[in-house]
Amino acid sequence: MQMIGISLGFVLMTVVFYLVTNALYFKYRRAFLVPAFASSFLIILILLMFRIPYDTYMLGGQWIERFLGPAIVALAIPLYKQRDLLRLHVLPVLGGIALGVFTGLFSGALFAQLFGFSQEIILTLLPKSITTPVAMEIAAGIGGIAPLSAVFVMIAGFTGVLFGPVFLRWTRIDTPLGRGLGLGTSAHALGTSKALELGEQEASMSSVAMTLSALFGSVMAPIVVWLFY
Amino acid sequence: MKYVKIALQIIILYLFVLVGDWLQSYFHLPLPGSIIGLLLMLAALSLKIIKLPWIESGSRALLSYLPIFFIPATVGVIDYGGVFTGKGILLIPLIVLSSFATMWVSGYVSQTIARKSKERIACK
Repeated sequence: MQMIGISLGFVLMTVVFYLVTNALYFKYRRAFLVPAFASSFLIILILLMFRIPYDTYMLGGQWIERFLGPAIVALAIPLYKQRDLLRLHVLPVLGGIALGVFTGLFSGALFAQLFGFSQEIILTLLPKSITTPVAMEIAAGIGGIAPLSAVFVMIAGFTGVLFGPVFLRWTRIDTPLGRGLGLGTSAHALGTSKALELGEQEASMSSVAMTLSALFGSVMAPIVVWLFY
Repeated sequence: MKYVKIALQIIILYLFVLVGDWLQSYFHLPLPGSIIGLLLMLAALSLKIIKLPWIESGSRALLSYLPIFFIPATVGVIDYGGVFTGKGILLIPLIVLSSFATMWVSGYVSQTIARKSKERIACK
């Protein structure tokens, strides 16, 4: 009985924080109010303040996380609606994603190498631009730490959510094709949630990028590791 | 009635995740079940096995709340605070820079190829 109460409490807390930060975000449009970011931050503060372990929070959190799978399947709908656009752009889509994935893998490893991080950290960092479950599997496969790779994936995701639109404007990437692919390749599903705000074409391009970069990434990651070690 | 419909449609979406998970473990595929589910749903829609109205309102409901489903995983950072102490703090700007490089390359390359091939749609 107590377990159910705790679970419900954490579900409720997460939903309320989300709704409040979402309302604030739409009113004030400040990047740090992006709901997934602001709510997570507040929840972490509360857990730290009351010394609640993550596993206890996840008694409720797992019920919210369970919807992530069907939500990812739901991304097939914008993809399907924009299939003509995709068919027109097979070459730019495939070329952009493949080069982008390679850049993500290679630059992450290179920067970490330059700053003298351990091999284990570098291998954990490698798949950061790829959607969490795939990134964890890639990290485990090449000798990294899977749960930590999920943390790096989140940082990459929030880079896209918080700074993506500004960066894209600044670099004059201004077509729905370029913006969607940029967000999806660098910031996976979180970037796609941002692309949904920009438009349906951006969203579909971003889900294509997220899906294909997961595929390309699982093939390319071992190759990049081989290049480095 | 509207909520019953949305709930039923989400169950259909969830079934695709389950099939995806099953295929993943059975064939040892390198993709997670949810992504396999996405590909299956795309195939089912293209082959008209599933019609858009059967899943559209459930999908829209899930996608409009998409960010909330990431919160539990993000809160997981709490167990890895130690990694970011000392020199480890550099990992954050490093990931941000590498993500910008990724975004720029994929965005710029695709946009440039699309413009060169003179396809007008999506290139205003």
